[in-house]
Amino acid sequence: MSGDSSQTAPGEPLLRVEGLRTWFPIKSGVFQRTVGHVRAVDGVDITVHAGETVALVGESGCGKTTAGRSLLRLIEPREGVVFFEGRDLLKLPKKELRDARRTAQMVFQDPMSSLNPRLRVRDIIAEGMDSFGIGRDKAERTERVAELLERVQLKADHMSRYPHEFSGGQRQRIGIARALSVEPRLLVLDEAVSALDVSIQAQVLNLLSELQRDLALAYLFITHDLSVVRYLAKRVCVMYLGQVVEEASAEELFRDPQHPYTRGLLSAIPSIDPDRRGLDVSFEGDVPSSANPPSGCRFHTRCPQVMDRCRVEEPQLIQLSGRQSRCFLSEEGSCGVSLG
Amino acid sequence: MSEFLLEVQDLVTSFPGSGSERARVVDGVSFNIRPGEVMALVGESGCGKSVSALSLLRLVPKPGAIESGSVLLDGKDILSLSVPDMRKVRGHEMSMIFQEPMTSLNPVVRVGDQVVEAIRLHEDVSVKAARSRTLELFKQVRIPDPEVRLDAYPHHLSGGLKQRIMIAMALATRPKLIIADEPTTALDVTIQAQILSLLRQLQQELDTAVLLITHDLGVVNELADRISVMYAGRIVEQGDRREVLANPGHPYTRGLLRSMPGLGRPGEPLAEISGMVPAPADWPRGCRFCTRCSEVLDICESEVPARRRLSLTHHVACHAVEATE
Ligand SMILES: Nc1ncnc2c1ncn2[C@@H]1O[C@H](COP(=O)(O)OP(=O)(O)OP(=O)(O)O)[C@@H](O)[C@H]1O
Ligand SMILES: Nc1ncnc2c1ncn2[C@@H]1O[C@H](COP(=O)(O)OP(=O)(O)OP(=O)(O)O)[C@@H](O)[C@H]1O
Ligand code: SF4
Ligand SMILES: [Mg+2]
Ligand SMILES: [Mg+2]
Repeated sequence: MSGDSSQTAPGEPLLRVEGLRTWFPIKSGVFQRTVGHVRAVDGVDITVHAGETVALVGESGCGKTTAGRSLLRLIEPREGVVFFEGRDLLKLPKKELRDARRTAQMVFQDPMSSLNPRLRVRDIIAEGMDSFGIGRDKAERTERVAELLERVQLKADHMSRYPHEFSGGQRQRIGIARALSVEPRLLVLDEAVSALDVSIQAQVLNLLSELQRDLALAYLFITHDLSVVRYLAKRVCVMYLGQVVEEASAEELFRDPQHPYTRGLLSAIPSIDPDRRGLDVSFEGDVPSSANPPSGCRFHTRCPQVMDRCRVEEPQLIQLSGRQSRCFLSEEGSCGVSLG
Repeated sequence: MSEFLLEVQDLVTSFPGSGSERARVVDGVSFNIRPGEVMALVGESGCGKSVSALSLLRLVPKPGAIESGSVLLDGKDILSLSVPDMRKVRGHEMSMIFQEPMTSLNPVVRVGDQVVEAIRLHEDVSVKAARSRTLELFKQVRIPDPEVRLDAYPHHLSGGLKQRIMIAMALATRPKLIIADEPTTALDVTIQAQILSLLRQLQQELDTAVLLITHDLGVVNELADRISVMYAGRIVEQGDRREVLANPGHPYTRGLLRSMPGLGRPGEPLAEISGMVPAPADWPRGCRFCTRCSEVLDICESEVPARRRLSLTHHVACHAVEATE
């Protein structure tokens, strides 16, 4: 069943997103005329290789969810390229899109709102198998639901229960089992552990990394919580107001963040080391509106290192060795390699 | 006069359970807070942190009820006050900041007017005086353009600004104790950092005591002087911030600290606490943590562990811990 799904050329990433742009119209007046746009996602590139985790991080409203949903065309983007398993999803007709989407599944933050409360767990998990014709008959699908439940460390006999009978962590496991039921190669996990207590979060993170190892799954891991990222992700894209402002391996990003925004985000994470107290509030104020992003560098209104140039000129993503940063300071960046 | 501003002794609060028995979701909780001190109450979801806080304010929603115990604020017995006297204490001597500012702000009233109202409810002052005090408060909680914000409606403000308004409102009556229930949980880390640093500055300037409720040990480390760790309705460990974080005595506290993802090394499994907090009806008879504990002994299942002292200021309720006295 799954043999046909790999159409990715050797060396080609599983997912390659380029120049993705999704704007929401702002309507006003009796005639609901479009008076402007929320530029939720405004030229985003993301690359995910088979079997690896890329994290998409940033503050609330920066466009993470919109990016995740747009690349699966759950929202129609206005432009861009989304190469997944060798095809541009944005160019596919609806019928083919449906099939292409089988191997790219989404898992949401609040499983309660995405699990139909009137269905039993068995039917929730089997829904995708039914619609893609996976499994010979009902009995075989039920068998597979039992396997999947055990796979996510629940019990096979949980399948006859309803979602409300489960805790938040268990519901998230059900959501993961449902996504796995159609044998995906990519999971877009949108704040999948954000609502959970740390103890339960650790359980689900461990489960995710075990599944990744066993099934060679790729994850696009969307979160506002950088501390989770360090553990799970190989590469990280940091978003600010619809754009990627820094992209690097997780290791380098935490060791040596280049963009002032990334530095601020990292220094705002409270530590549990009793000798380290007193957070560095490195930038004041709130995130500006993405309907009306600041001129020049979108971060300039909050940047502690702002220069005159930043207010008027828009920085591009500057290529450093093996990483990128959208900041003029990176031009003669610490790596000394500027190809941008 | 006691050295403590707040003394909570053996507090029990219950809700109707599945059968005829009531579930004691707060079951014998004791802690004290000195004037100007920050006490953190920390634990997983469903451990009884919010119900404890609501009990102190006597705001437990029916059919929940405080069954027994005592709560003294400045020596005054809170649980036996008349309803009007309690109303005076609430919002005057103690006030509360909630996680979700939107639910506690009236969406159709300008935020400045809401604070003015709160002040005039407790103090006999003119609107003009209350308004100028509100402006002072807005400056104190570092709201940018405070004059303009007085006339804003809640939905015009970001989450961080709304939380600042809530703090201004909580400070309006110059309380001795602020109960802050997850005050930064709904905020982004950068905004959380701003609010935490604001709370700390204010708490030092005004010498207000704070009961800080949170599930985030990082937030605890930032603000708390002392920590009470709560599990399934009981306090299982209590001590100075440094003692609890650097030298956690209870297996539950250790589990919480170890499962923080920041501590994990990439590629290696994170330490987890197995299972989850059971529903109150299923809380075990002995140590309530025994179903999840990695250090469980036979005795844990049948007997409630007594408090053991680890130092003058640090104690733990666990059978596996040797007391130092
Ligand atoms: N359907 C929509 N219509 C109009 N605007 C929208 C819509 N969905 C999102 N937006 C706006 O687009 C921007 C990006 O939103 P998005 O939900 O993608 O952010 P996010 O990074 O996922 O935030 P969070 O961390 O809060 O989930 C925000 O300004 C949001 O208000
Ligand atoms: N109104 C209520 N009716 C019945 N049970 C309740 C009510 N409020 C709380 N409880 C129960 O009391 C227990 C403690 O709840 P509480 O809200 O105090 O937990 P908490 O530690 O604040 O958790 P969280 O971190 O999720 O806020 C839970 O088991 C909860 O189900
Ligand atoms: S008393 Fe027993 S079960 Fe409870 S925490 Fe200590 S060792 Fe674990
Ligand atoms: Mg989102
Ligand atoms: Mg609570």
